[in-house]
Amino acid sequence: MTKLKNWIVSNPDLAFAILLSGCVYGYFAMTNEFFATHRTGFAIMERFAVLGLVGLALTLCIIAGEIDLSIGSNAALAAVITVRFTDSLGAPTSLMIALIVSTTIGMIQGYFIAYLRIRAIVLTVGTLMLLRGVALFAAEEKTVMLTDFRVPDFISTKMLGYFSPASLLVIAMFILVALFMNFTKYGREIYAIGGARKEAVAAGVSLKRPMIIVFAISGLCAGLGGAIIGLRSGTAQALGLQYVLLAGTVAAFIGGVSILGGKGGVIGAAIGTLTVNFLNTGLVFNVTPAFMVQLYLGILLIVVIMFQTGSRVFDDSQRRKQILADTDRMAKLLTARRQRIRSG
Amino acid sequence: MTSATTTSNPNFVQRFARDHSPLVIALVLIFMAVCIIGAATAPNFLTVFNFKTIIRDAAIVGIMAIGLTFVTLSGNFFLLSMKETAALAIIAFATCMAAGLGFPMSFLITMAIATVAGAVQGLLIGLGGNPIVVTLGAAGLFFGIGSWWSDNLVVSFRRPHGAEWLGTGSTFGLPNITIAFVIIAIVAELVLRKTSFGRQVYLIGANRAAGRATGHENFAMAIKVCIIASVCSAFVAVAFSAQVSSAHVNYFSSEFGSSGDMTIMVIATVMVGGNSIMGGYGSTLRSSLGAVFISTVDNMMVLHGFNSGPRVLAVGLMIVFSIMVFALVRRGSRAEE
Repeated sequence: MTKLKNWIVSNPDLAFAILLSGCVYGYFAMTNEFFATHRTGFAIMERFAVLGLVGLALTLCIIAGEIDLSIGSNAALAAVITVRFTDSLGAPTSLMIALIVSTTIGMIQGYFIAYLRIRAIVLTVGTLMLLRGVALFAAEEKTVMLTDFRVPDFISTKMLGYFSPASLLVIAMFILVALFMNFTKYGREIYAIGGARKEAVAAGVSLKRPMIIVFAISGLCAGLGGAIIGLRSGTAQALGLQYVLLAGTVAAFIGGVSILGGKGGVIGAAIGTLTVNFLNTGLVFNVTPAFMVQLYLGILLIVVIMFQTGSRVFDDSQRRKQILADTDRMAKLLTARRQRIRSG
Repeated sequence: MTSATTTSNPNFVQRFARDHSPLVIALVLIFMAVCIIGAATAPNFLTVFNFKTIIRDAAIVGIMAIGLTFVTLSGNFFLLSMKETAALAIIAFATCMAAGLGFPMSFLITMAIATVAGAVQGLLIGLGGNPIVVTLGAAGLFFGIGSWWSDNLVVSFRRPHGAEWLGTGSTFGLPNITIAFVIIAIVAELVLRKTSFGRQVYLIGANRAAGRATGHENFAMAIKVCIIASVCSAFVAVAFSAQVSSAHVNYFSSEFGSSGDMTIMVIATVMVGGNSIMGGYGSTLRSSLGAVFISTVDNMMVLHGFNSGPRVLAVGLMIVFSIMVFALVRRGSRAEE
């Protein structure tokens, strides 16, 4: 018990995320008899494959103190490329092309953000539009479609009860990124430039390398997510996938990242995404219209932000009080000492 | 970079050439050349009618961009909820009109809703929430409320109605929405330059610590600028709804307009106008000119017969280009932060 207590005290955000996801799961499991079944488990893992990637990408960006707004466009571009070339080149090759393109786009973005020393939101708003244009161009302003819908069936075959090749791939990706972030120098640099950028740069961390790595991973995740959606549905739209930004951001914030950067981690991202998936799937089970999902996600994000902002304001006021109290005590001590010196 | 600066400084070209790196100068020259060649070769580009079309197209995005400029100038980046605020407002307006409340009453109710929407976002931003994340959440919320209210259906109201003068009417041969755009642009510029509120926007945007030291907290400012931005997008929504006599939450999403997402178009306009995204530098005049500029390029490409793909691409290139130029210019001319 004490071990558990210690763990909660040292990881309050993660504990909160687990509690929240448990509550959401519990609510739907109680209100809907079909929710807590094996088939639903498979459906949730299938959703996790896409949304988890976006949540992971945004988590990394926010850890580095930036946010990648172009993630939906990048995913849409990858989806269009994959679907368009699957007929002529086969699914694996077209998937590789899409991933190379999206990763390269991410790297270029990261390089320019570091080189121009601008905030990522500024550049990624531009690339959001630019990549939509490229995707429209690549799709020739149409909805691209596969001619043979059986080709990509392999990515949705059921394995080991709950998983498919797509979700296994995504889980492997999570583990790799988690190892990278926690145990390599480059991963720690990403935390450093997010939490204390000026100090990190002064200590000799180059801004370019972590920025390029973060945005390359973000691009890779977006591309993989888009490609999986495209292959699974057999169609892709250049102007689609706008909703992933909101869902991914909600997932990242539930997972315990702070907008100030330097906080959070891959496990949080996974739990955050699962929470969003429980909510999504549960709402579908309760026959809620699609637009209501957006409403609930919006409310969830605002609540999490209010919680974070509120705790920050509270911390600040506590600290200020502490400083004032300390100064008062010091002043008293000094006066007492002065009097002692004067009298003695 | 705008014509206003050029006329006020006779040596502008020389100063520009001296202050900036050859890379920046080359970029600017290439860009100008593309524009001039495009304008000269496009059929029917240089006609009065086409000019009117350009300004009318610029009005809708321009009014929203003027509202957003206040937010950007005060150092609160931008609101990702412009489109969704407009969607909520258009549903509110059309529902009121369909219920037979008349134009003045419907207009007031819409503006009241927009004010509340802006105030809520401003409150959260003022308390220290990140503007991007707060407004991303608010966007989902407003869009959801709009869809839920209208049941995701088209709300229409019958002609003749009291709002036609705003939607389709014209005065002295100019559409009323164009006149509204010009009036709003002038008023906004006067507010920014001549009133103490306007100067406070610049102060807080340029240096938040200095603002706080002189008693101007960002808390009140964030609420005020968010209300201005929301009211501007609600006004656009009203004008648009008056024009088509109907409303749907998707009117401002990707299928509307030529170049995709409305929110991003508005942000693009603010950026292409050359306002500093970190705040404190820029003006609403720049945003208005940015709107006219984007509209001109779009118009030129339509006249050349381009599809939506290349046009979205062109707007995207313009944003990225202006971001890079302004970042390079700033890096060359000012001490690093």
